[in-house]
Amino acid sequence: MGGSVAGARAVTSPRGHAMPEGGRLSVPFFLTVGLIAGAIIAYQIAIMRVFSIGTWAHFGSFVVSIAMLGFGVMSAVMCIGTGIFQRRWGLLISAALLAFGPLMVLGNTFAQAIGFNPIALASDPEQKYKLFYLFVFYFVPFLPGALFLGLVFLRGQTQFNKVYFADLVGSGLCGLAFLAATYLVAPSWIIMIPVAMWLAGTLIWFGAARQFLLAGLAILLAAGAIFVTSSYVQIDVNQFKGVSYAQKFPDSKRIYRDYGPFGFLEIFASSYFHFAPGLSDNAALNLEEMPKNAYLGLYIDSDGPIGLIKELTKNQSAYFEYLPMSLPYALKKAPEVFVVQLGGGISTKVALQLGAKRVVVAEGNPAMLRALRDAPNIRRLTGDPLHDKRVTVIPYDGRLYVRGQRGRFDVIDLSLADSTGLSHPGGFTIREKYNYSIETLRAYMQALKPGGILSITLWNKEDPPKSVPKLFATVLKAAAAEHGGKIEDKLFITHVYLSTVTVLYKRDGFSATELATMKEANEDLSFVPLYYPGMKVDASGADKVFEGYRASYIDIPGRKVAKDRTKRPNLSATNLYRIMLHHMIAGRFDLVREKYVFDTRPLTDDRPYFAAYIKVHEIPKFLNQLDSVSDEWGYLLLWATLIIAGIFAAVLMMVPVIWGWRTIFSRQRGKVGTIFYFLCLGVGYIIVEVGLISKFTLALGNPTISASVLITGMLLFSGLGSLYAGRYIERCRTVMPRVFIGIAILLAAGAMFYDLALDAIGTWPYWTRIGACLLLLAPPAFLMGFPFPTAMTMLARLGKERFFIWAWGINGSFSVVGAVSVPLVAVLFGQSTVILAAAALYLIALPAFFSVLCPPEGAAAA
Amino acid sequence: MTTTLVSAAIRDKRAIHVIRVGAVALGVLAASGQVWAESRGFDPRTIPTPPMDSAEKFIPFMQKWRGDDPRLLARRWGRFQAMVKNNDLRRPKEKRAFLLAPREEFARTRDPARVYAHDWLGIGYGVTISGPHIVGRMTTEIDVKPGDKVLEIGTGSGYQSSILSYLTDKVYTIEIIPPLAKKTNAIYNRLAKAKFKEYGNIKRKSADGYYGWPEHAPFDKIIVTAGIDHLPQPLLKQLAVGGTMVIPVGPPGAQSLLKITKVKSASGKIRIKRHDIYAADPSRAGGRRKKKVSFVAFTKYTKPGSGKTVSRWGRRKTN
Repeated sequence: MGGSVAGARAVTSPRGHAMPEGGRLSVPFFLTVGLIAGAIIAYQIAIMRVFSIGTWAHFGSFVVSIAMLGFGVMSAVMCIGTGIFQRRWGLLISAALLAFGPLMVLGNTFAQAIGFNPIALASDPEQKYKLFYLFVFYFVPFLPGALFLGLVFLRGQTQFNKVYFADLVGSGLCGLAFLAATYLVAPSWIIMIPVAMWLAGTLIWFGAARQFLLAGLAILLAAGAIFVTSSYVQIDVNQFKGVSYAQKFPDSKRIYRDYGPFGFLEIFASSYFHFAPGLSDNAALNLEEMPKNAYLGLYIDSDGPIGLIKELTKNQSAYFEYLPMSLPYALKKAPEVFVVQLGGGISTKVALQLGAKRVVVAEGNPAMLRALRDAPNIRRLTGDPLHDKRVTVIPYDGRLYVRGQRGRFDVIDLSLADSTGLSHPGGFTIREKYNYSIETLRAYMQALKPGGILSITLWNKEDPPKSVPKLFATVLKAAAAEHGGKIEDKLFITHVYLSTVTVLYKRDGFSATELATMKEANEDLSFVPLYYPGMKVDASGADKVFEGYRASYIDIPGRKVAKDRTKRPNLSATNLYRIMLHHMIAGRFDLVREKYVFDTRPLTDDRPYFAAYIKVHEIPKFLNQLDSVSDEWGYLLLWATLIIAGIFAAVLMMVPVIWGWRTIFSRQRGKVGTIFYFLCLGVGYIIVEVGLISKFTLALGNPTISASVLITGMLLFSGLGSLYAGRYIERCRTVMPRVFIGIAILLAAGAMFYDLALDAIGTWPYWTRIGACLLLLAPPAFLMGFPFPTAMTMLARLGKERFFIWAWGINGSFSVVGAVSVPLVAVLFGQSTVILAAAALYLIALPAFFSVLCPPEGAAAA
Repeated sequence: MTTTLVSAAIRDKRAIHVIRVGAVALGVLAASGQVWAESRGFDPRTIPTPPMDSAEKFIPFMQKWRGDDPRLLARRWGRFQAMVKNNDLRRPKEKRAFLLAPREEFARTRDPARVYAHDWLGIGYGVTISGPHIVGRMTTEIDVKPGDKVLEIGTGSGYQSSILSYLTDKVYTIEIIPPLAKKTNAIYNRLAKAKFKEYGNIKRKSADGYYGWPEHAPFDKIIVTAGIDHLPQPLLKQLAVGGTMVIPVGPPGAQSLLKITKVKSASGKIRIKRHDIYAADPSRAGGRRKKKVSFVAFTKYTKPGSGKTVSRWGRRKTN
């Protein structure tokens, strides 16, 4: 080893390198490691943002996950050719550094130029090749990134915990810096954020080595990157994204634009915006004057539109009475109203128009508030409802406000929250909808004054229905929990086919007079009742109806169908809903869940998902009809990613073993244990990180904030753990078992108590919340910083260099597998299961740790 | 003084009365004038009905009577058979309309293999001509009676209105894309001058169909041939009580075909009812889902100059 490193020094370090051989690692070395590791993280987030705006975010995570296997590939290559990498260390590290920055820009530029259209993936064979090219273009930049890290790990292996500290802390801080930078950098320049981090790292490296020519070259390359970014499209916005339509309207004009960590927000004005958020079909028949050109269109990350209703004239204002959100006002006069989510502001306007005495409205997305409350032109166009003296704005999630404040209201409105106007052909990502969980709905129910009404309106545009049955199950379960199962008189449910469904819950039940009023109001709006106290439903044909829906997708052998069309079951959505509600009101949730073709489990804080409606054991039956479940592609893509990543990871893990069996592996002891150890750590660490991002959204409200707090916090504390672990290397045999048990206990406790803690924290002032979340995170994250660097250092000290590089690759590859499996496990079994699984993995890693410590054959024990 | 006032009042009342009578008379005249003007069109019932029992009779008949291309006639007959079997054409009047309408004149291609194929075809401007089965099914669902006033939203190729013109002499159609409207208009004019007088009955304009054609409302039937996520209120307003509308509702590329009826309830209230026209269909033993249709988005209109795809390297940027 000594000779090879001397060779490296001769190539790169004629005037003293950032990291002289045999000596202490220098500060510039650590700074560069941190910045390059940070640039890699920032590049991943940047790609996700590009996909979010241009096509769909889940394709971004799919592509990034697979591209991250670049680490696995590099590790396999380095493991096989360790000698070459050590001999040519200096040359390779300079080449890796210089290539990484420009390749990030070129990769994205090429990827955005090929015109990938995920919508046509099932129908157009060309798209499959384009998807493959996407992988290639995003995969290539990760190779020099991985090569750089691999080389510095190789060089710093005996002080690995410090190198790893720099890696983790750099990643954490750069992730945070990326999010902060999105406030300043327009989306089309977003790729330049990781490039800037790369440039900083590269200049520090070459500067410290006094390689000014190479530093100059890096500056030239950065200038080239700026040129390419400004000359070529960096985000190719898909023609089927909502905003593409808005841009094509002849009179469309973008009147507002804002970007930052909460997304890319645009507002367009055009007379071609036609909205009707559940508007009654009777509106035009009865209104004196139908509002024309009444909406602005708001797009977040090119998705939408969310309709922002403009100020209406007096003659037009009866319009609000024809919206489904108006139903509770048929019973409540001059109520105190809580609007759970501001969104486009329609519920707030309805409340004000229909005589609310006071309106408290919450909005967790600061970008939305900036647009609607602060932007002068938007305020003018929308009539500025947020500055009405009856209105109080809560600048965080309504769910948290209700769960914490226990304020009392006559009407609580949860209308079309977390959704945009059209269902997206690209599908919805698996996103936590805590606003609709049983726990949250119960909090809304408890926050009602006597006689108060909770009104929930959801889009009802799916046929066969997917989200609505889940909503029914959730509301009914919540109500049943509040009233010990007796809920017959407490609900009024109505819908319009392919428009909206509205559930009204009245805490102390509907009286006969109230029921008559509601029925009349409902009829006036041409809404179709699905349930009210005393409604007669013929559920005798229920089995046939469920079977009919099932047969729409899945073959049912021996099924007989009446030749006479009039004798076939009524498969209308109305009939299906009535039958479902009939059973659910009577507590037969399991029957509906079993018989309906899609999953109807309710949303809970532990499993708050509308997505993933295909029952997991029936996924194979949908593979030949993917076009019919395009809204489920986000979920199905996760499975695809998991399978592909799993296969790749396994192959990458095995390549060095097979290749180097005779020379390296047959002589090493503890192979299987070592594989297991790094596999467990790879999966375990990442699933805690990704799993807690979802979980902590409970208190932090916004997934973007949650992700940045979690990524930064986890990596920082683990980095500190890694640094601290260096003290115990000599005593690792006794210390590490305690660490593993500590991690498992902390995680298991977290799985059980995070919900309670986060619920309480969620009501505190925002910065206190972030601080509290970090405190909650610190103990397990700190300890989780121990196992990986300790084992790596031990491998290095035992002279198992190839194992060392190989272990790093296993850890990286299986991190991808772990990250992808988190949402799948969460959807199927709940988020606590994810955290419990991580606890179990750390326990399994305990005995495997001792395999890592096995000395190579013929050597003395360490 | 009082007398004067009273007599003035009487005079005024009389004046008002006279004005009223005059207005009513004028109104009647105007209305009858309009009726006359509207009923002056060519009566499509005078067009001979082709034989519908066999291709052997149908093809020579059409060839002789109108000089249609026999290869295309054979394809038209083949598609006709499939549509009847599939319940897309049920009554004799719609069968007759389908057999009379020359799809090849509107499809922007005369390739016999494609004109009468099951699927939709692109006709430029990012829009399509729907497959024959959808056109047949939508036409059948609205059950057009002679003299019905029918509004079509989305003229597109012109094929749908050509079919409607064999069922009634009052067809109105609106196209949002001006150059497409102009092209289809020219096709109608050319054909109307030749052997297709019935196309002279089709009133056309280029505008945003969302707002309907209020000057000619109410319409007995409305047929919308572009997908949208909600029912346009102006169209609901312009639909006559007792009228029917068919419209594809849903996300782009996967709409449900809705039949909308506007009825007066027993209590005298007007109600709108929605019904999925494929709702009763899916119960086939092998399993087939509720049919979705693929119409282009409602407001498919590009700014002049932005419709063309420039080279990939020059595409629009987001910033």
